[in-house]
Amino acid sequence: MEQDGTLLSLEGVSTHFFTEEGVARAVQDVSFSVKRGKTFALVGESGCGKSVTALSIMRLVPDPPGKIVGGRIAFEGQDLQGLSEKQMRGIRGNNIAMIFQEPMTSLNPVFTVGNQIVEAIRMHQRKGLTDAWSDAVEMLRKVGIPDPEQRVREYPHQMSGGMRQRVMIAMAVSCEPRLLIADEPTTALDVTIQAQILDLLDELQSESGMSILLITHDLGVVAERADDVAVMYASRIVEMAESSVLFAEPLHPYTQGLLKSLPRLGLLEKRLPTVRGVVPNPLCFPTGCKFHPRCAIGFDDERCRSVEPELRQVGETRRAACWYTPGYETQEEYRDYESRYGKHKRLSVDGR
Amino acid sequence: MNQDMASTNDYLLTVDELKTYFPIRKGLLRRTVGYVKAVDGVSFRIRSGQTLGLVGESGCGKTTVARSIVRLVLATSGRVVFDEIDVLSAGGQSLRQIRREISLIFQDPYGSLNPRMTVGNIVGEPLKVQEKGRANRWDGGYIERVASVLEKVGLSSDHMNRYPHEFSGGQRQRIGIARALALEPKLVICDEPVSALDVSIQSQILNLLKDLQGEFGLTFLFIAHDLAVVEFFCELVAVMYMGRIVEQAGSEELYKNALHPYTRALMSAIPHVDPSLRGRREAFGGEVPSALNPPSGCPFHPRCAEVGEKCTIEIPTLTEKGGGEGHFVACWKR
Amino acid sequence: MIRRDGQIGKELPKGRSLWSDGLRRLRRHRLAMVCLGVIAVYVVLTGLIYLDELSKWDTPVTRWDEEVGGAYEPPSAKNIFGTDFLGRSVFRKTLYGARVSITVAFWASVVSLGVGVPLGAIAGYFRGVADEIIVWVYTTLSSIPYILLILAFALVLKDKTINLKWAKLGIIELGGIATVYLAIGLTSWVGICRLIRGEVIKHKNREYVLAAKSYGCGNGRIIFRHLIPNVFHLVIISFSLRFVSFIQAEVILSFLGLGEKDRPSWGAMIDQARLELPRGHWWEMTAATAAIFFISLALNIFGDALRDSLDPKLRIQ
Repeated sequence: MEQDGTLLSLEGVSTHFFTEEGVARAVQDVSFSVKRGKTFALVGESGCGKSVTALSIMRLVPDPPGKIVGGRIAFEGQDLQGLSEKQMRGIRGNNIAMIFQEPMTSLNPVFTVGNQIVEAIRMHQRKGLTDAWSDAVEMLRKVGIPDPEQRVREYPHQMSGGMRQRVMIAMAVSCEPRLLIADEPTTALDVTIQAQILDLLDELQSESGMSILLITHDLGVVAERADDVAVMYASRIVEMAESSVLFAEPLHPYTQGLLKSLPRLGLLEKRLPTVRGVVPNPLCFPTGCKFHPRCAIGFDDERCRSVEPELRQVGETRRAACWYTPGYETQEEYRDYESRYGKHKRLSVDGR
Repeated sequence: MNQDMASTNDYLLTVDELKTYFPIRKGLLRRTVGYVKAVDGVSFRIRSGQTLGLVGESGCGKTTVARSIVRLVLATSGRVVFDEIDVLSAGGQSLRQIRREISLIFQDPYGSLNPRMTVGNIVGEPLKVQEKGRANRWDGGYIERVASVLEKVGLSSDHMNRYPHEFSGGQRQRIGIARALALEPKLVICDEPVSALDVSIQSQILNLLKDLQGEFGLTFLFIAHDLAVVEFFCELVAVMYMGRIVEQAGSEELYKNALHPYTRALMSAIPHVDPSLRGRREAFGGEVPSALNPPSGCPFHPRCAEVGEKCTIEIPTLTEKGGGEGHFVACWKR
Repeated sequence: MIRRDGQIGKELPKGRSLWSDGLRRLRRHRLAMVCLGVIAVYVVLTGLIYLDELSKWDTPVTRWDEEVGGAYEPPSAKNIFGTDFLGRSVFRKTLYGARVSITVAFWASVVSLGVGVPLGAIAGYFRGVADEIIVWVYTTLSSIPYILLILAFALVLKDKTINLKWAKLGIIELGGIATVYLAIGLTSWVGICRLIRGEVIKHKNREYVLAAKSYGCGNGRIIFRHLIPNVFHLVIISFSLRFVSFIQAEVILSFLGLGEKDRPSWGAMIDQARLELPRGHWWEMTAATAAIFFISLALNIFGDALRDSLDPKLRIQ
């Protein structure tokens, strides 16, 4: 464990898919870190690369056609890329666990729920069968399944979606992982069940001190449950900040547009503000800033069209990747811009 | 809610005690051992030009209500009156009229379009089916109509010879909307039209639907699980739980003054981006019971914080509670 | 398809259908294209033989019963596959055998698809009584050993004829080769029927079918315009894989003496040649076996490549 309490850190990670139709750059130059005991959320729409990022951490990217082509992923200071497959298996499920969106397809339909938890336990801990089974029952109880002694012998199809998700969580936390990666854990669930599952994750987190990497497209969930947020768009992180700060004052036009376009209870609008255009295809991203074709500011801006802004520090704790974010460019860059493109509108000129 | 014949004339669609039960057959001789009561006595009315939202979680029966109304599924009992036609027993000409004047928009942009047909054919097929024999199908009029409806939904006539898989999810949903509008319907039933779309596209499609409603004076029955979307789009909202409507009111009124414990629990479970909107989380546990074995009395009682004795015995009826344009609740405690 | 219409005035850009996507991927599969070439050779050969027979040309190839040398001559420059016990050219017999095999396989495919696809579609779409009957029929049929069924057919149809003079096809004997076509076809429609039935059941609850019903499509239109085009790729894949089994079935039947009696077929050649093997006359057996092997291999590889390119499920989105 590093001194500053960082559990997982990604630096410049890129994952590409080499397909018949070309190279799909699913993840490009992604860097962030998850602190011990905290919840970090990766938000974005379909195709932005958030799930692929998670799979890259676990080294579960299907190869071919996918490949991690660059960057460093460090867990507790140890470089995960350098490990052998055998060592990686020792980490998966044990130190880093993952839960997925569709519990029906993630659980094996031909084994009882108890069997699957027992298998997870015995794979990583030296426990006898009886011990493992009683552990499994305890896990089910812990995740809030009533009558666990009975339920442990049931099959996945006999349970509801919410229950299956709880079983998945039970399997995931059975070996007390330090990091739980949750890929859209509640998207397939009803909103009332979603609240229960998220409460459960909160509970488990405060009990064991594990960190959660939450991957979702639901901004509301992120706002309520995450400590830190990174917004992804078209394979890159475009904004990163503490969750309360981000939602109070989003900097990147994409984040702003997204938040404004959500219909919200009680606001009684006649028309919703929208983000025009569509999410780009990973096989052919736009030049320059990937968001520029949809951006009110960058749409006809020379620089946004040709030069991609990197993710930079804006103020103390925030980062953004937009030429027009206040405090983003240096004075030098501004002067350079002026000389090349003429004066441009600025939201504010902060020294860097 | 009792309907009398005279009042149905003011309403475009009247649904009265609609019930749709699916038999469960077991055994070698396929004997009916029970029923799944997907829709268990639903009643509502929509005036021409209004929008009614039907909200509820999965399994509440809202999709079955929609399908029963257009006879994609056989209703078990009840009455549905559309434009003075008795839908459930209509045949021949009347049935054709219903098929022409009620359109559906589906949830899945990937599954709701035939992958082997061109966009032009998909959008134009309703015209071909309804107007066969009348006009020469291949004349310019038909192609023009398809092109014009495509333009209305934000696509272009260039897209007519393309195939669905060449488009994004949002565009496919637009194609589905174009198809629904091809016959110039009076009533459009949308079943979760934006749930499967990316967040940044949802608002585009919702705005489009609102614009089309204004332009063509359409009436909507809007089915969704997202209360915020329904509140934006609909004037009236009905909340469903286990095949029944538990609360119905104008959307503003419902938001301000939700009465039924389920509605309140639903609202409090929604995660909000804006911290000021987050209220106290209402105590709410358990799961939706299985439709094969519904609880006695009020279907919500096993999960209700305010459950009383009467709740476990008798099913509450939908009664008016005042509060503006008809606020109805089905709860013994209200 | 939408015709280009002068009133709209411009050419509408054509889209990429799933078929053209599939064919494009197939073309890239080089081995499959080679196999397609091999299959084409056999088919063209068959065509040429028919042409020759019907138009009264007289090319050397079709004179399979001509004596070209002594009995049991081994392969030489003059007769590359040697001769059989009557001194006939084994090479010519092998080529002629293609006609028999391809024809049998073709008609058997037509019969089995012609029966299997409609029944499968009806069973899957209408369910209920029709489904129960059809399923019962094919379950029973597929439980009877295949050979017995064919023998039964052969017995019943022996010496019976149909008068097809009105179609200028003359009088067709129902025994002999026609039995083989019918028998193989009628016993093998079960597989494709089950397949189609399953796919139709899956597709009929898809939203695009519901949409079609909601604007008034009748059952016929739904089956032919919506469901069958979406399951047709399976028919094609099945056709190409079935072809092999039909060729091999014909071989077995001829071997058993039930098939073509007057003309050479690969199965009959193997039957005749096996007795000669101990005496060291290997060329007839080898020629026939090689001919069967290459067409079967080509069809198998091509069929697999076809399935990979046409099956949308195997595509990564």
